[in-house]
Amino acid sequence: MKLSCFMDQAYQGNVRSRKLETRQGDLIFSLEDLAEKVGCKPSKAQVEQLVAGDEKLAIRLISAHPRKEHQLLWGYLTSIAAELSSSPLRLDGGNFAGLELSRGAIVLEEAGDRVGEGMNGGRIFVKGRAGNYLGQQMSGGGIVAGCCGDYAFRGMATGWGVILGDAGKFVGLGNLGGSIAVRGRCGERAGWLMRGGRLRVAGEAGDYLGLIMSGGEIVVCGRAGARAGWRMKGGSIVAAAYGPEAGDGALGGALRLG
Amino acid sequence: MPDLRRKIDALAKSLENLRLHLGKRDLAIGDRRVNSQLYFALANACLRNKALLLYGGMGANKTTLVNLLGASFLGLPFEEVENLMVSGHPEQTEEKIVGFLDPRQWSRSGGEVEVLWTPWARSQWKVINEINRFPSGKQNLFLEILQKRKIGYAGKVLVPGDTCYFATMNPEFSATYPLDEALLDRISATVPAAQPDFLSGLMLSERQREVRDLATELPRFGLQEFQALPSCVAQTDLSPQVELAIVSLLKDFTLCERAPAYDKTQLSGSKPSKGLCAGCHYFGNPECLCWQGDEGLSDRARQDLREYTRALAFLLGRAGEIEVLRAVAPFVIWHRVNPVRSLLDQPPYYGARKLALVQELVEKSINRTLNERAEMNTIFSRAVDGEMSPRDAIEELSGHDDPIARLDFIPALERMR
Repeated sequence: MKLSCFMDQAYQGNVRSRKLETRQGDLIFSLEDLAEKVGCKPSKAQVEQLVAGDEKLAIRLISAHPRKEHQLLWGYLTSIAAELSSSPLRLDGGNFAGLELSRGAIVLEEAGDRVGEGMNGGRIFVKGRAGNYLGQQMSGGGIVAGCCGDYAFRGMATGWGVILGDAGKFVGLGNLGGSIAVRGRCGERAGWLMRGGRLRVAGEAGDYLGLIMSGGEIVVCGRAGARAGWRMKGGSIVAAAYGPEAGDGALGGALRLG
Repeated sequence: MPDLRRKIDALAKSLENLRLHLGKRDLAIGDRRVNSQLYFALANACLRNKALLLYGGMGANKTTLVNLLGASFLGLPFEEVENLMVSGHPEQTEEKIVGFLDPRQWSRSGGEVEVLWTPWARSQWKVINEINRFPSGKQNLFLEILQKRKIGYAGKVLVPGDTCYFATMNPEFSATYPLDEALLDRISATVPAAQPDFLSGLMLSERQREVRDLATELPRFGLQEFQALPSCVAQTDLSPQVELAIVSLLKDFTLCERAPAYDKTQLSGSKPSKGLCAGCHYFGNPECLCWQGDEGLSDRARQDLREYTRALAFLLGRAGEIEVLRAVAPFVIWHRVNPVRSLLDQPPYYGARKLALVQELVEKSINRTLNERAEMNTIFSRAVDGEMSPRDAIEELSGHDDPIARLDFIPALERMR
């Protein structure tokens, strides 16, 4: 039998045809696929462009545990998913969650490092402990965490942060604005190089509180450690008591008992 | 001779009525729903020299079902069929499985070496129970038997004739060994054996008598009837649609732009799951199967697809049509391929439902062949028949980016120029 007769019998006159759309099938199934298209250090806009408002895709991609090189991508995806979702996005934890978040809410059981970094809107709630660099360089929105590691709210411009327990070292390092409240104690060098904004600590503060600060306001309800306001240039520090050498070498600003 | 299909129907009904097998009706062929475990086992009993693997957890009625069918088709007592079976464990030896040198010959002088073949070796109903409990080296014994259809020992060869092969296998446990890909390719079809559902469980509770007693009430086949089954199956013709869909299925799974000779079965080390497809323009296209699985399909898969489609069509009293192939193909293919993890790990497969993913891939391939490849297939066939020049055909086909057109049709036409 001729091959064309065989084909005629197989199709029985139903010669419909559609060419394969190879250039349009650009599906993303995993973080690896995404990384292949945008690299491991893309901008949020690049990731948003590929996810294209597909909430299900974003949620599917963040459901996988990211490898170290894909954590940044994972962080952007958590923000995109939270922004697209009408209800809070719930996650177990991970580094970079809520990276550059602009709206929506994320609820984390535990948080790794750099959660809420660069966020400019929305809310992040961490039920347990947050790692280092919580809310680093945030310029809006708010974060509530049970407790946190070092460098929390470093370089904060606006927005607010609440730590329900203790905070680690270097809280509010280099802050330009915004408000930070710590209900427990904070470690040393809180408000270091602070230029604006407010820091309120309900418990005690470690040594070098407000080190070389040039603006902003620090209130400590408990006792501040040694060398509070050391070489400060501006702003104000109020504490219930001070350790030794408080205000040594200060060029400006005010150090008061409250 | 009685109508063998009716007799097989009666056997299936008896297994249900006697509460000997109550599986879910999980295999839909047209408007008929049957139990895949039972009907693939029946299909395998109607074919010869094909191996069916029943895969599932303990107590899913794999071995008992095969032995019950053996008792019925061979007309033997259930216990006798059980004795024909070999079971996997690390202490199994070739001597225990196939045969050993007759020690009595050493007291005689002269004469040929004599081997005492085991009942399993001589039987035409071979059951390998828990095949993955054989260490990998011992699994090779079955590889040879399934390949050569004869058994060799001590320079002697036993040709048992046309045989029905069945194997059972548990999921990975602490005492199991992985099955070699070459052995898996020689297994014609794999069917999951599931635990009975709620209703079946209640019905099984009604069973009062022992399996071996109930087995005596199953319909019995005579030797002549058993031997006539393959010719009954062979009378079922496959439609051109089915033949076309089978060849296209094989090509869809096997063609790869980056593999030697575009043949994925030649890949070693580098695979789609290991980054082979990165940057390929077919990668990520859900309509293309090439990047979705690591392995290609051998020609054995084509033969098995044809044979099981015929056998199931015969059992259900249907023509060898596309609906039967749709139902059969996933069971013939899923143990031979490994879909890429990034697909398999996603919902709704969760890394665990490989058969469901392969079913979807098979559907895609068949639908694409039947609905969207008509034009390119017609162009190719006209060029092969000399009704148009290969040059014109190549030009027209180059507009189709389908892997079959690009990687198979066009190279074939270039060789014809």
